[in-house]
Amino acid sequence: MDPLHLVFGASLIAGAFFFVAGTVGLIRLPDRFSRLHALTKADNVGLGFIVLGLMPLAPDIFYALKLVLVWLLVVIAGATGAHLIAKRALRGDGEDVL
Amino acid sequence: MNLLLALFDLLLTLTLVGLAVVTLTSREPRRAVILFIAFGLLLALVWARLRAPDLALAEAAIGAGLSGALMLAAARRASDRNSVSTEGSNREDAP
Amino acid sequence: MSTLLLGVALVLMAGIAAGLIRVAVGPTPSDRMMAAQLMGTSGIGVVLLLAPVLAVPALIDVALIFSLLAAVAVAAFTRRRRADNGD
Repeated sequence: MDPLHLVFGASLIAGAFFFVAGTVGLIRLPDRFSRLHALTKADNVGLGFIVLGLMPLAPDIFYALKLVLVWLLVVIAGATGAHLIAKRALRGDGEDVL
Repeated sequence: MNLLLALFDLLLTLTLVGLAVVTLTSREPRRAVILFIAFGLLLALVWARLRAPDLALAEAAIGAGLSGALMLAAARRASDRNSVSTEGSNREDAP
Repeated sequence: MSTLLLGVALVLMAGIAAGLIRVAVGPTPSDRMMAAQLMGTSGIGVVLLLAPVLAVPALIDVALIFSLLAAVAVAAFTRRRRADNGD
């Protein structure tokens, strides 16, 4: 086990830790906006660490580029979705009383 | 390795069945649709685990994505129609 | 290495199973949508981790579709109520 693999393995474990923290926050935090805050941390940082840890296993350069593309798409979708959900919750768009 | 894979399969299957039961027994349309989207995601995970990436692609794109969005729109219109008669015109701010 | 990947995938799968609680009981639809989004992201992580374990590199395309359609689902969910009636 050379030190490089150790670094990437530690990155995978850090990603799993951020996902666990995000899930626990989503379940335990009291109100909607703090839950949204926990969610975005898990999305961006957790998946970033996992993608970083999977880098040395990529068979060629395009696979590695696709990994980065997946992470970029998740970051963009997560930020946009968090803003949309927060705006909708702030406006109180009626549908919550359904 | 094999034990971990078996544990993974067990957790995946149990979650899938539990999600199906919760989806089928929910009364509100929006809740059922969001649960259905989550169900489609998990079913795509099952196809991915069974080494069928093409089926996983189709399930994620059609089952979770497109029909989920269409059913969300349908549920919103249904609740819209139901509440127009009851709540009157207190939503003048809509464009 | 494969054991570590499977272990991390198992942790993420447990996170999906726990997020199901918030989807099921979440008091408002926004909470449910947030939990569904977290489940989608964890699913992307699981697929990315399964690709080297199962030796199926094509699984990364599944992860790409997941990440694209998460945005579609959230956008469809947050559309305003009367905005689509044309008035």
